[in-house]
Formats: sequence, structure tokens, C-alpha cells
Amino acid sequence: MRGAPLINFDKVWKTYGVGEARVNALAGIDLAIPRGEFVAIMGPSGSGKSTAMNIVGCLDTPTAGTYSFMGVDAGRLDRSRRATLRNLHIGFVFQGYNLLPRTTAVENVELPLIYRGVAHSERRQLAMQALAEVGLTGREHHTPAELSGGQQQRVAIARAIVSRPTLLVADEPTGNLDTARSHEIMDLLTRLNQELGLTIVMVTHEPDIAAYASRTIRFLDGHVASDAKTAEAAL
Amino acid sequence: MIWETIRLALRSVRRNALRSFLTLLGIVIGVAAVIAMLTIGSGTTQKVKADISKLGSNLLVVRSGRFNGPRSSDSVARPLEEKDAEALSRQLSGARAISPAAQKQVRAVFGTESLVTSVTGTDSAFLDARDWKILSGRPFSESETRSGTGVCLIGETVRQQFFGAGDPVGEAIRVNRMSCQVIGLLEAKGYTGFGQDQDNVVLMPLHAFQRRIAGNRNIDNIYVSADETTPTSVLLPRVEGVLRDARRVPPDGENDFDIRDMTQIADTMASATATMTGMLGAVAGVSLLVGGIGIMNIMLVSVTERTREIGIRLAIGAHERHILIQFLVEATVLSLLGGIIGILLGLSLAGLAAVTMSIPFSPSPAVILLAVGFSALIGMVFGFFPALRGARLDPIEALRHE
Repeated sequence: MRGAPLINFDKVWKTYGVGEARVNALAGIDLAIPRGEFVAIMGPSGSGKSTAMNIVGCLDTPTAGTYSFMGVDAGRLDRSRRATLRNLHIGFVFQGYNLLPRTTAVENVELPLIYRGVAHSERRQLAMQALAEVGLTGREHHTPAELSGGQQQRVAIARAIVSRPTLLVADEPTGNLDTARSHEIMDLLTRLNQELGLTIVMVTHEPDIAAYASRTIRFLDGHVASDAKTAEAAL
Repeated sequence: MIWETIRLALRSVRRNALRSFLTLLGIVIGVAAVIAMLTIGSGTTQKVKADISKLGSNLLVVRSGRFNGPRSSDSVARPLEEKDAEALSRQLSGARAISPAAQKQVRAVFGTESLVTSVTGTDSAFLDARDWKILSGRPFSESETRSGTGVCLIGETVRQQFFGAGDPVGEAIRVNRMSCQVIGLLEAKGYTGFGQDQDNVVLMPLHAFQRRIAGNRNIDNIYVSADETTPTSVLLPRVEGVLRDARRVPPDGENDFDIRDMTQIADTMASATATMTGMLGAVAGVSLLVGGIGIMNIMLVSVTERTREIGIRLAIGAHERHILIQFLVEATVLSLLGGIIGILLGLSLAGLAAVTMSIPFSPSPAVILLAVGFSALIGMVFGFFPALRGARLDPIEALRHE
């Protein structure tokens, strides 16, 4: 852990609607996540965890307060700058995999590099390498429909790490998988966290999935209800 | 990057092959219609011009006033007379040839063959005035013209009917019970733009015609062709002056004859055809517009269908312009493809029309280029709104989209 945290929420508010219908999804949150940490975010639906994740992933901006990412006031950046920030530093893994249909695994993995302007041959090589890292050698030219759920999620993870991001945002990455497959995916994420030093922020409903993280943050009604090292939370 | 995008667009077009095809159809029909119309139109214009110039270049045709419409109710117009032509021959300057002529549709017979043909009584200057050549044989001599000998020149159609490919010169045919000896064969002129066979003709000396065929001394037309240095527009008022004088038309009286400038008619007809072509082209252009709206429609569907894909791309770091370009290229590829198919179809149609209507096939590279450019433009214009809609999507919303 060095210097400024990778992610820093300073009295962050996020408000939806106006007047009577006004809802505070986030009500003045303070939160810091240093580089290299593996954080699980839990909480019931409507607790504000999805809103927080969108802000962490630079997909959304706070209504009030400051959100800094890598020391940059990401909440004040315009749409285009945030797109660049995401492309260079953030990888996304979703519950429903969100791969492009009828597009091969390797082409799906290449996608972030296309928008970064990496040349075709280099792109292909990096994508193959990323697929190897997630254990999908030999499946590069399969389309999502030809792959199992676990394999599709591996492709999604390869796509998230192909551009060597600083942060991986995972939104219920095991939500659609059976127990055995879930643990395989979590082992993979843990390995990426440890070997690449990849910071991971993951939303989950399941305590045994959260147990893979080194820290668990619980949201409730737009506040951080608890924030603890996983070992203590499990006890 | 742009290659990547074009590849992506082609793949997307291929993926929804049937839908892409139906969308293309609008552009295909529009472009094909425009190309076919303009190509057929320019062929027709050329044909009309060529046809009219076949009548003779720099030609004025004088006709008696009775052809000139309804105003002749108060007085029966006087037919032209041979002395009118003689007056022109004496007094007119700037004319290359002056020739009186009278026509009648008459049955001609040779052996067991017969044919209804247009018989013209005229003099030897007729061929010069009409720019008509003799393929074999000779024209009427002065004395034959004067005395009205039973000799004739025949057109190609008459030759084929009576003599096949053989030489008609020296044979005798019967025209309306009058026997006449064929002394020459006229060069073939083909059909006029109005479908009239110009080669189904028999020419004979005017006096022979008047005496033996028409039974009167009238003449129907006087052909006046201008010499190289005199434009028809200059010659026309001179002809008018001589004729008014010869026919003793009072100074305040209207002409009891009518002069047509064939050059001017050629120009007028050609420009009328060109205007018609333009109008048909414009109507065809409307269908191109409809095709464009079809593209916009399908691109909106495509953007909605692929909202999730757009969400993924945006989350992963695509900029608005990447999405915009992706869909814009897709729309352009779609309409350009339609444009190319349309051009091929339009040219085939025009080619077919050229063969069946016997007009020249004259595809214009400019029109084709314009069609390509225009169809690409339609893709861009009508693809822009849907593409912008896709690019402006909120990634969070888009990812949630089912």
C-alpha cells in the first residue's frame, strides 16, 4: 500500500429524482480503497451498492462530493475523458458475461484494444495471451454460444484484463454460475489479484464468495454499514 | 480502425442477410430507376436529334397555310404553287437547294408483289435539299423533270419488297396504274422517331406525279436548304418575304403559308426530351428518398436491438464517436451496396430498353458516379440520426437493457 488510495470517496452523494420522489442512493459516503486490494461489496438491493459501483467504474458521477480515481477527480471529468480512463485503467466483469454474440472469444477479448488503437497483429497476440491466462487456450475461436457459462465468464475476465488495467470492477461475477464453477472463477480472480496486483472491487450476495476478498464493505440505505477485513467479518 | 469498422459493418449486414436485403431494395430500386431513366432519356434525346437531322440539315420546309390549325375557318388557304418555288429560285440568296414536292400514299406493284408507299413528285434538287444520296443509278435529268417522264427513284424498303437484294435499276414498276422505270436506288434512312419508315418511298418527276397520280397542279411542300454560310434563322425571314411577295399577301395580312425550321424543331424536340428525362429522373429520385427513409428505419431498429452491445462497448472505453462511426459506416455500407446493385440493375434495364426501342445505349459515367455518391450520402444522412442515438446512450442504462 503506497501513498494516496486508488479509489477515494469523499462525502459522495448521489441523488435521483426531484421533490417528493427524491431518493438518496448514496448519502455522503467516505471510502478509500488502496491499490492491490480485493474488496467485496455486499448489501440488499436499493442499498446504494450498484450506484457506488457505477461511480467506482467511472460510468457515473456523484451529485455532490468528490470521487477520485488514481488521484484524479474522476467525478468532474466529461463523458469522453471517463471513456478514456475506463479504457486505460478499468476492466469490467458482469453477472451476465456481456460478450458480443456471434463473435469469437478472441475477438471479444480484443475489443478494448480496438478502442485503444492497438494494431491488429499485436492485438491478436495480447488477446491470445489473456485467454491463456484465464485457461481458455484452444477455445479462442469459439463463439459465446459454443462455450459454457464458466467459460464465457473466463472470456469476459480475459477481456477485462487484456489491457492490463489497474482496477477490475466485477458485478456479481458468479451470479449465473453453479457452485463448482463459481469457485473456479473466484480462484482465478484471487490469482489475478495476487499475481498481477490487480485491484478488484466485486459486488456479491453470497458470503462464501465474499470470503475470497480481503475486505468486505456492507452498504445499507446509502451508507456504509460495515467495513472490515474478511477474516474478522467471517468470524 | 476504419477498416475494422467497415469489416464490422459488413459482418453485421451479412448477419441479418434478409433484413439487409429488404432494406437495400429501397435504394436498389431508387438508384436503378434513376440510372435507367437518365440513360434511356439521353439515348432518346440522341435518337430524336439524329432522326430530325436525317430530314436534312439546315432545312426550311414551307407548307401551305391550310395545315396551320383552326384559324383558317374564314378563308380556305391557297395551296402552294410551282411558281412560288420558281420565285424562290429566282430571288432567294443564301439557299443551296430549293425544291417543290407533292406527296400521296399510293399502291405500287411489281410482278405479284404490291406495297402501299409514299410517292413524292419533285425535281432533282430534292435530293440535295434533303441531303439524300443515291446508292446506285442516277437522279432525274432536267428534261425528265420538265416533261414528266415515267421514271422513278425508289427507297430501300421498296427495293426489298420488290427486288430483294437484287439491283432494281432498269426495272419497271407500276404506281397507281402508271408504269415507271426505276432509274436509281436511294440510300437507306431508317425510321423516324415517330416510327415512320423513311425508306418506303418512290420519287418521280413533279409533272409526272401531278398529271398521273394527283390529278392537280398543287404542291404540298417547298424544301429550302441553306448554304454553309447562311443560318436557317437568317434564311427564314427572306423566304417569308419572297413568298409574301409572290403570293401577293397584303402588308397587314397574315401568311397563307407556314415555314418550319427543322434545325429549330430538332433543338426544341431534343430539349423537350431532355426536360422529360429530367422530370422522370426527379420522380425516380423520390423513390431514392423513400429508400433512404427505409435505411433510417432499419438503423433505428438495429441500434435498439444492439443497445446492450453499445453499452458493453461504451463501458469498455469506446468513445461516442466510435459508436457513431460504427453505425454510420454500417448505414453507408448498406446504402452503397444498394447503390452498386441499383446501378447494375439500372444499366441492364437501360441496355434492354436500348435494344427493344432501338435507341443508342449511352451510359454516362457522371450519372453513375453521381448515383454512387448520392447513395453513400443517403446512407450517411439517414444513418446519422440513428447512429447519434446509439452514441448518446447512457452506458449504465444500455447495459441494463434486455
